[in-house]
Amino acid sequence: MQYQSQAVAKPYFIAAIGLFVLQILFGLIMGLQYVVGDFLFPEIPFNVARMVHTNALIIWLLMGFMGAAYYLVPEESETELFSPRLALVTFWVFLAAAVLTVAGYLLVPYATLAELTGNHLLPTMGREFLEQPTITKIGIVVVALAFIFNVGMTVLKGRKTAINLVLLLGLVGLAVLFLFSFYNPTNLVLDKYYWWWVVHLWVEGVWELILGAILAFVLIKVTGVDREVIEKWLYIIIAMALISGIIGTGHHYFWIGVPEYWQWWGSIFSALEPLPFFMMTVFAFNMVNRRRRNHPNRAAVLWALGTAVMAFLGAGVWGFLHTLSPVNYYTHGTQITAAHGHMSFYGAYVMIVLTIISYAMPLLRGRKVAASNKSQVLEMWSFWLMTVAMVFITFFLTAAGILQVHMQRVMDKPLPFMYVQDQIALFYWLREGAGLVFLIGLIVYIASFFIGNNEPEAEVVPST
Amino acid sequence: MVALTLVTYSIGRLGLSGLDIALGVLLLALIKGHLIGAYFMGLNRVQGFWRWPVTIWLLLPGLLITIAFVLAEG
Amino acid sequence: MTALTQTNPAGQLNRYPPGDLAIWIFILAELAVFAIFFATYAFTRMNNVELFNQFQQHLDRDAALINTLALITSSYFVVRAVAAIREGASQICVRWLLAALGMGVLFLAVKSAEYGHHFSAGINLSTNSFYMFYLSLTFFHFMHVIMGMVILAAVALKARRGGYSIEDHTGVETGASYWHMVDLVWLILFPLVYVMH
Ligand code: HEM
Ligand code: HEM
Ligand SMILES: [Fe+2]
Repeated sequence: MQYQSQAVAKPYFIAAIGLFVLQILFGLIMGLQYVVGDFLFPEIPFNVARMVHTNALIIWLLMGFMGAAYYLVPEESETELFSPRLALVTFWVFLAAAVLTVAGYLLVPYATLAELTGNHLLPTMGREFLEQPTITKIGIVVVALAFIFNVGMTVLKGRKTAINLVLLLGLVGLAVLFLFSFYNPTNLVLDKYYWWWVVHLWVEGVWELILGAILAFVLIKVTGVDREVIEKWLYIIIAMALISGIIGTGHHYFWIGVPEYWQWWGSIFSALEPLPFFMMTVFAFNMVNRRRRNHPNRAAVLWALGTAVMAFLGAGVWGFLHTLSPVNYYTHGTQITAAHGHMSFYGAYVMIVLTIISYAMPLLRGRKVAASNKSQVLEMWSFWLMTVAMVFITFFLTAAGILQVHMQRVMDKPLPFMYVQDQIALFYWLREGAGLVFLIGLIVYIASFFIGNNEPEAEVVPST
Repeated sequence: MVALTLVTYSIGRLGLSGLDIALGVLLLALIKGHLIGAYFMGLNRVQGFWRWPVTIWLLLPGLLITIAFVLAEG
Repeated sequence: MTALTQTNPAGQLNRYPPGDLAIWIFILAELAVFAIFFATYAFTRMNNVELFNQFQQHLDRDAALINTLALITSSYFVVRAVAAIREGASQICVRWLLAALGMGVLFLAVKSAEYGHHFSAGINLSTNSFYMFYLSLTFFHFMHVIMGMVILAAVALKARRGGYSIEDHTGVETGASYWHMVDLVWLILFPLVYVMH
């Protein structure tokens, strides 16, 4: 750690991991409810568990991005953070908002929560991923503004690098697009239309900039490859991400009631969305192969490469699978979608946050370059456990999805939804099993922060 | 190049149609494209992998367009 | 054309195309998009031959001709600009670039007039699938012309400040390659959409 103020990243990372655990526990609860319908009913209905699962995911990823920004911006700018105090205040505000919101989900029925928080004044609730009470949304905006102000001022007063600028652009885009969550027209077509501007343009637009910037930062650090080379890649990747991703929004417009040309635009542009992810993979491996040194933090290198591969598989391959309008006609809203949603979120955004945590945490905790060998070995175990578990979750859901599409939508005499769900229950059981392995991986991950702290730092493995 | 363009233009102007004409026009376009790639872009002085992208780019859609036009006639 | 090849030592083959390799990767991606678009156009036409042939007649081929010539000449000017900088003549290079930009402006003006004409006739993306393709394809290309002009302008500015030399002029070649790509795409687009039927 070169700058004192980078330390504010630490609470963000810790809170992120905490919410990660919460997210996974609720995933497991839902996974069980899929096959044992009344599990935990009426205490935790499925829809509530689903909100907690997905909202916790988004919030902890945002925390991770903020931590990442607070860590890497001072280092890139070569100056202390504009205001570490503000960063800590926003952290507590953000955490409090997140905890209160989850408590609200769990303690009172959603309709009551809407009433309590004055949703009728400015109705924004009730839409997938954007279920938060309006007041929480306002809180998120305030936190985001303070955060961007803080990071922006730091960049302004310090060195301006490509990584900084791309990261900042991504963060500003994230905040601006979130404003569409306040727009809630009664016309259902318009509602969906703009809802995707948050949901899709986040993960297939501005978040990719954040992903690219963090990945580039970590790769510069662990490989020692020239900044110039890495920045060039970064620029091409984000240009392609934006060119394909913005109009690619159309792949969600096939069946919501917008003009027909979206069939074409959505299919063609989104078909190109895998390209930036593919280039990220090539980029990461290329840089690691060209490395000038072997970094003692092998776990971080593993996470970085893992991100590149899994993001391509989850977003690129599983996304392409159902992105063409004639295919999506059959697969829309089935388990295929869920399979893709899981692997893409995990592969791209969960893993990039874990990558920067893996790189930064040892330094934040007072190590000079890396954690001990023992901690790293545990961490790498957790990498494989979680990643392989996620691959299996994806496979099982894909299998379930194919059967679902076939029985429910392709066969001459299509079968009813619930009947089909019963037929494919086996795969839901298997998914739950893989989910348990994921949880074990997560426990091992957390253990890696506590075990091996008394041992000396890992040394560079001589290159072969 | 300019001459080729004028040919294409006059075909359009005269309203000529038919499969052979359409494909002829396409061929002209591909030739022009090749000239751009080879001389303007300077790919004729490049060896190996990078020599081919533009050529392949011309041939592949060219082929697909041809197929589509031929099928449309048939 | 032959004059152009002579500006460089003949017979010497490079392993990489002129300009930054990064732009070439980008160019490939862009070409791929257009290729997909062209092929979809052709195959959609296959199922709607009558419709496509009928509405194709409504397009303004004179405008398209001017535009084709504009882009080809401007590409040629860019070639001259690259040739100039290879000899270290910064200011001449700037002049050729400005000439190329002028042709770009001409293109945009003509194309805008065409669009104005269509829109005032009440034509939009939902009119029919021919216009859907025509407008999408040309507009996507239109954006590329603008993008290419921004790049060329940036290169011209740097060149004017003497930012390039005989030894170091990758930037010029990079911009040039992108601009040729824009031209190249139009060369296929023009006959496909305006002429072939
Ligand atoms: C890291 C990037 C990505 C993430 C995190 C992601 C995540 C998601 C999620 C969560 C959904 C479900 C949304 C809902 O609730 O309905 C979804 C849907 C979809 N995604 Fe992605 N995605 C990513 C990239 C991509 C890419 C690159 C493609 C295309 C190549 C793609 C194609 C699709 C399609 C077509 C749907 C709609 C599925 C349906 O009709 O049900 N995604 N994505
Ligand atoms: C880091 C790991 C995980 C990520 C990133 C993740 C992400 C997501 C996302 C984005 C959705 C919404 C999908 C959509 O709208 O299509 C979702 C829903 C869901 N997740 Fe997860 N999840 C993870 C782990 C788990 C685990 C371990 C389980 C359980 C074994 C699980 C079970 C579920 C279930 C049952 C749903 C609801 C699907 C439905 O509505 O039908 N998730 N998850
Ligand atoms: Fe999307």
